[in-house]
Amino acid sequence: MLRTSIDQGPAPTIYLAGEMDLDCAETLREAVTEAARGAQMVSLDFAKVEFIDSSGTGIFVRLCLDLKSQGTPLVARNLSPAVRGVFDMLRVQDLVGDEVFPG
Amino acid sequence: MPDQTADSPASLQVYRYKAGASRVEAVIGVLEPGLPQEDLVAHAAESIERDTFMCYAVSQAGDFVADEICFVPQGDRCDILSIRTNGWQRHHGDHRRSLVEILNNLAAAVACGKLRILDRDELATETEEGSEVLHFSINETADLQTARDAVDVVLLEAGLDDISRQRTILCISEAVTNMLLHGGGHGTVTLRRLGDRLRMVVADHGPGLNFLNWIAPPTKGGQASMGYGYKIILDYLDAVGLNSGPSGTTLLLDRMTD
Repeated sequence: MLRTSIDQGPAPTIYLAGEMDLDCAETLREAVTEAARGAQMVSLDFAKVEFIDSSGTGIFVRLCLDLKSQGTPLVARNLSPAVRGVFDMLRVQDLVGDEVFPG
Repeated sequence: MPDQTADSPASLQVYRYKAGASRVEAVIGVLEPGLPQEDLVAHAAESIERDTFMCYAVSQAGDFVADEICFVPQGDRCDILSIRTNGWQRHHGDHRRSLVEILNNLAAAVACGKLRILDRDELATETEEGSEVLHFSINETADLQTARDAVDVVLLEAGLDDISRQRTILCISEAVTNMLLHGGGHGTVTLRRLGDRLRMVVADHGPGLNFLNWIAPPTKGGQASMGYGYKIILDYLDAVGLNSGPSGTTLLLDRMTD
């Protein structure tokens, strides 16, 4: 199960915790939609994500591409080892662009 | 130019030839009425005799159209993988893998021995081997976490290292996700302990592999499937068995414990 908490502001951060799989689609989309309202950009903090699979990754990729097309860039920060391993394997950076992973 | 709106599914068909037989039989999919039996038998026999993997691109229009036919010798028999995309290509801007990539992955895995295509008899035997450790149903997406947690307990008890455990859990998640998205949405997971391995049997009663149902966005939150499930499973497990047909799909996922 994925839990989210939002630190609002002009550049809000959504803190993610738990597991990202097919079950997280609605939770994540709702949180990002809420945070993106009137925002210049949205950050996702993956530090407390303990598990992610290709569906969880696909949902993230889709959100990145959707927000980019709406003019509100999404960036990913503090990838946990579990997330980094799967993102590397699935070449997520190639799919969404280097700018999603600053630093 | 192929018609990308055609409703004929992109598919993987698997036929099997046993040395000395006069025909090939279908193991996944169906035997086409126009199947060039004599040609297939001749190529399969040659593949067995030379113990060589052979692959042909097939482009001519006609009753039997395949993008690729691969002959994979396995001792005294030969598995024949017929890959058809029916014109389905990656859509412009689509982040998912192309069907050709996915299907070729499966063919390569059979060729290198990682993936075994099981007929009904083999499936019946192999799903009964060893002793049952766990058995539970899958009915909704929330069951994904339940499945991962339950399997992880057994993997821990078996003394698997962290990397092997994490990779196995990821594969269970991918297999159960496939069941939820493409396998009718319901099924079972059974964990069995064999002498040198743990075997996870992931079974559904869906329509079988056909890849057409993979193309449409399946979830409210958008397209979740990236087409990587089988790749992850084949890369990260020690051995995989697959049976698929109109009455369902069963995956046997083996993790060595020695």
